[in-house]
Amino acid sequence: MTMAAKQEEHWVDAARRGDRAAFRRLVEAHACALFTVCARITRDAALAEDAVQEALFNAYRHLADFDGRSAFKTWLHRIAVNAALEQLRRRHRDEICGSDLGESEDEEDFLLSRVAEIPSPGQEARGAEIRRRVDAELARMTLTERTAFVMRHAEGQSLKDISQALSLNISACKQAIFRAVRKLRGALQPLR
Amino acid sequence: MNTIDNSTSRISDNELILYFYRDGLTPERMAEIDNALFAQPELRQRYTELQRMLHEIDCAPAFEPDAVFTQRVWQGLASRIDAEPLPSRTRRSWLAEWIARLAPARIIVTVFTLAFAVAIGFYAGRHGTAPSDDAAQAHAASTRVLDAYVADHLRATEGLLLTAVNTDSNELNAGNRELAAALVQSNRLYALAAARSGNARLADFLRQIEPVLLEVANQPADAPIESREGLREYLRKTDLLFQVRATQARVDAANRHRT
Repeated sequence: MTMAAKQEEHWVDAARRGDRAAFRRLVEAHACALFTVCARITRDAALAEDAVQEALFNAYRHLADFDGRSAFKTWLHRIAVNAALEQLRRRHRDEICGSDLGESEDEEDFLLSRVAEIPSPGQEARGAEIRRRVDAELARMTLTERTAFVMRHAEGQSLKDISQALSLNISACKQAIFRAVRKLRGALQPLR
Repeated sequence: MNTIDNSTSRISDNELILYFYRDGLTPERMAEIDNALFAQPELRQRYTELQRMLHEIDCAPAFEPDAVFTQRVWQGLASRIDAEPLPSRTRRSWLAEWIARLAPARIIVTVFTLAFAVAIGFYAGRHGTAPSDDAAQAHAASTRVLDAYVADHLRATEGLLLTAVNTDSNELNAGNRELAAALVQSNRLYALAAARSGNARLADFLRQIEPVLLEVANQPADAPIESREGLREYLRKTDLLFQVRATQARVDAANRHRT
């Protein structure tokens, strides 16, 4: 165990006993990373900040439930993901039933539909457009797709952790990620 | 589906995605894909395309918190933490767990308590537009009782729906059917009590859940997989599970606020 991990374990133990200063250390260590993941899911800085507040408060209230089987960071991020989803549910309820209605879950491949060449300088110059499209497509995805994809791709969390966080089975998690990648591919393809 | 050769055609783009993340594939399958990538230029091209695309996604702008974000978050948290000291919470959580183990007895108590809550709500509604302090207090108390039981009911409903979505086990589904039948009864009672206490939104939501509970309760033991898939698809499309959780959180929050 690294020094930092030992230190964190000490803070967690102390915070469990009601040590405010120790909990503050944990907040300072994790708040920014939590903001990033919440913002990736909510696509809104204000909602993300509210989600971080709620997540940290929930974490404080349930510190006794943290059993150390997963890393504290993983546990905290799982709470944050749910808090971000809850913020979206409260404020953008329509988005939940978004664009995957009638979505095909076929296994047909899509990557070979247009195999890319090495990007030319002109294509590189379109980087801003690529970023805009990625951002727009992420915003259009259903919550489940976006959250599963963000947790897997940006957070590096395992399918098992994602399935627990989203209360889905592994297969449903995989399908959500596949759909997300497929949609992103569709959004980027016209630029090729 | 691509058909370069038999082994390539069996490696789908979805599998390449899992391969990219090194997750969700058996070690044997990973090794097969390793070998195929080495041997087959077409597969390598597809994988390169996937890597490039996912790299482009990494370049999308990330949200960054401002310089005083952590300080602001802590200020907000500090006041909430002060308002709810840790030891009393721990006791309540232990008590709640203990109560949860008394589920069968609790159902009987619930029925009587809710009948009482409905009666109070009914009485308060019938007797004038300006109820006395006693009536108002009784009404508030009955609302708190109702909220506590509804939150518990929604937790049970969430568990039921999760089982319905995630399992193909006949044993679990049989248990789920019995639970659903019990929940249908209490769901009607809670919907009635919510309507009586003036919470039309909650009453509507509970009525919205009832057909799904009935569907689970009445699913035959030998139901074909398609019929289970239909329910799963419905739950996925409507996000009813999310709504159950959201309502439960709202009810919990409202109750905490009142107490």
